[in-house]
Amino acid sequence: MTTATMGTAGTGLALPVALPVRANRTVRYMRETAVLVGRSLRAVPRVPERLSDVTIQPVMFTFLFLYVFGSAIHIPGMRYQDYLLPGLIGQSLAFGVIGAGVATATDFATGVTDRFRSLPVTRLSVITAQVLGQMIEQVLGMAIVIGIGLALGWRPDLTGAKSLELVGLIALGLCAFTWFGVLMGMLVRSSDAMQGLGFAVMLPLSFLAGTFVPISGMKEVPRVIGEWDPLSTLVAAVRQVCQGTSSTGSWPLEHPVVAMVGWCILVTAVCVPLALRRYRRVSAA
Amino acid sequence: MPSSVPAVAAERLTKRFGSFTAVDSFDFLVPRGHIVALLGPNGAGKTTVVRMLATLTEPTSGSARVCGHDVVREADAVRQAISLTGQFAALEPNLTARENLVLMARLRGYTKAGALRTADTLVDRYDIGEFRDKLVKSISGGQRRRVDLAASLVVQPELVVLDEPTTGLDPRSRQVVWSTVHELVGQGVTVLLTTQYLEEADELADQIVFIDHGRGVARGTPAQLRAQIGDHRVDVVATDPAGFESLVHTLAPVFPVTLVPEKRTLSVPAPRETLDLAAVTQVVTASGVPVAEIALRRPTLDDAFLALTGTQTNVQDNALEVLA
Repeated sequence: MTTATMGTAGTGLALPVALPVRANRTVRYMRETAVLVGRSLRAVPRVPERLSDVTIQPVMFTFLFLYVFGSAIHIPGMRYQDYLLPGLIGQSLAFGVIGAGVATATDFATGVTDRFRSLPVTRLSVITAQVLGQMIEQVLGMAIVIGIGLALGWRPDLTGAKSLELVGLIALGLCAFTWFGVLMGMLVRSSDAMQGLGFAVMLPLSFLAGTFVPISGMKEVPRVIGEWDPLSTLVAAVRQVCQGTSSTGSWPLEHPVVAMVGWCILVTAVCVPLALRRYRRVSAA
Repeated sequence: MPSSVPAVAAERLTKRFGSFTAVDSFDFLVPRGHIVALLGPNGAGKTTVVRMLATLTEPTSGSARVCGHDVVREADAVRQAISLTGQFAALEPNLTARENLVLMARLRGYTKAGALRTADTLVDRYDIGEFRDKLVKSISGGQRRRVDLAASLVVQPELVVLDEPTTGLDPRSRQVVWSTVHELVGQGVTVLLTTQYLEEADELADQIVFIDHGRGVARGTPAQLRAQIGDHRVDVVATDPAGFESLVHTLAPVFPVTLVPEKRTLSVPAPRETLDLAAVTQVVTASGVPVAEIALRRPTLDDAFLALTGTQTNVQDNALEVLA
């Protein structure tokens, strides 16, 4: 034991710095959320693979479909870039579920969540930070997809009002899918299982959703699934706002923006209370 | 907080998971300023007790007060008073050791500058300097444990709860944990630790509570428990049944032996440890009977468990003879 240690030990206080007086609950909530979002974002550049769901993958899909499969796909009345990019934006939104789920499951599995829960921090701040951190990562990934799309000749038909509508839709989608992912992560509690399950469900759904080829041309079974697939609504809504296209086949596809807003509100309304309840009560193994 | 309020007072604390009862009417008292060890085998319910006391899971029935606060109704006050170091090093793997400490300090309410100073103090104190700027995912398990321990001490809590703090640690890190515990108690902090190691409970705690199948099966000071468990013993293992017979004739008149025929083993109490080992060895050698093994053994957790739960064991027989 060094003399320095002896010195502090003698005072009966572990540390030389005094804690500030506790602020009120709202101020604490905001402060703690900010600190925890900072924790998530600081980790981002150190785990490039964590961003791969929202960066490399969409980029790969963009190149694959634009330059490989795209040559064999002809969409009547529009260039393939203009068909594909709104689809990829929708797919990125949906894949946010996986990222949020994996991050949440990892925190539970490693005991980080337990440590936070044993601290005198507002429990809402931990979960808010998880959601916000994930949403920021998603926005980053989305920006990359949009940037590449524009560079490769995507020309969205956006006026000022339409741009705002697009931003609004994306924000709503991010919110719904991230909360859904956080809830799934808490239920699954293993990051590997979350990753596997996420792709097993989301990948086929996104292929059936008219992301890459029109649903109307599919065989009957996939076509019916595609027409009612929530991801189809997402893709159709983004496409309608960006390119002014309309689709047919089912009510949600004919009114994609309204249906997507409905879906997102429903998912958020169900997932937020369940996630909060789960977070308060869950007892990790 | 008056010192008369115990750090932990649990009454008939019970936790069921479906039909499985993890903790069963557990009564538990941790007086202030003491180190209490919750000792028991894997799956005994130690971690569940700790999780209830740390407000991570609610008791099914019964109650517990930590530093005077009810763990269910006054959970926030409990969290304010305690600091928990769980079984796994619960750190953000993609932050450095120092960043993790800063994060914990920020969450405990320090300003940015205060958190940085606190982190640096802890880096010095817990010997973290050489890896403070490495990502936690790239440092060793022992180093991680040290950071983890430091992270739970960014404030001086009234009660430090350590759940199996040295399981899987290298000797150096284990030593750091042990000296930290001694140091904390020197500062008047109460420590509750769980462990599977009899040796660790013996070394650190001034009171030991033995838990098994969610029930407290024995409690007392290390000296009291040692008296119940029995001391070291010398085991002599014969090479064959005939040799075993010969050894019985040789040793039984000289020492208070206990026999385990199915293992061809004779046990001799060894309160004087190596001196007794030498004495037994001398008699065996003089007899000329070949033996497979002569060894000095300390009671294991299994021995202690068997002795304390009242199951008849050689160890307990020995202890009774020694006490008699």
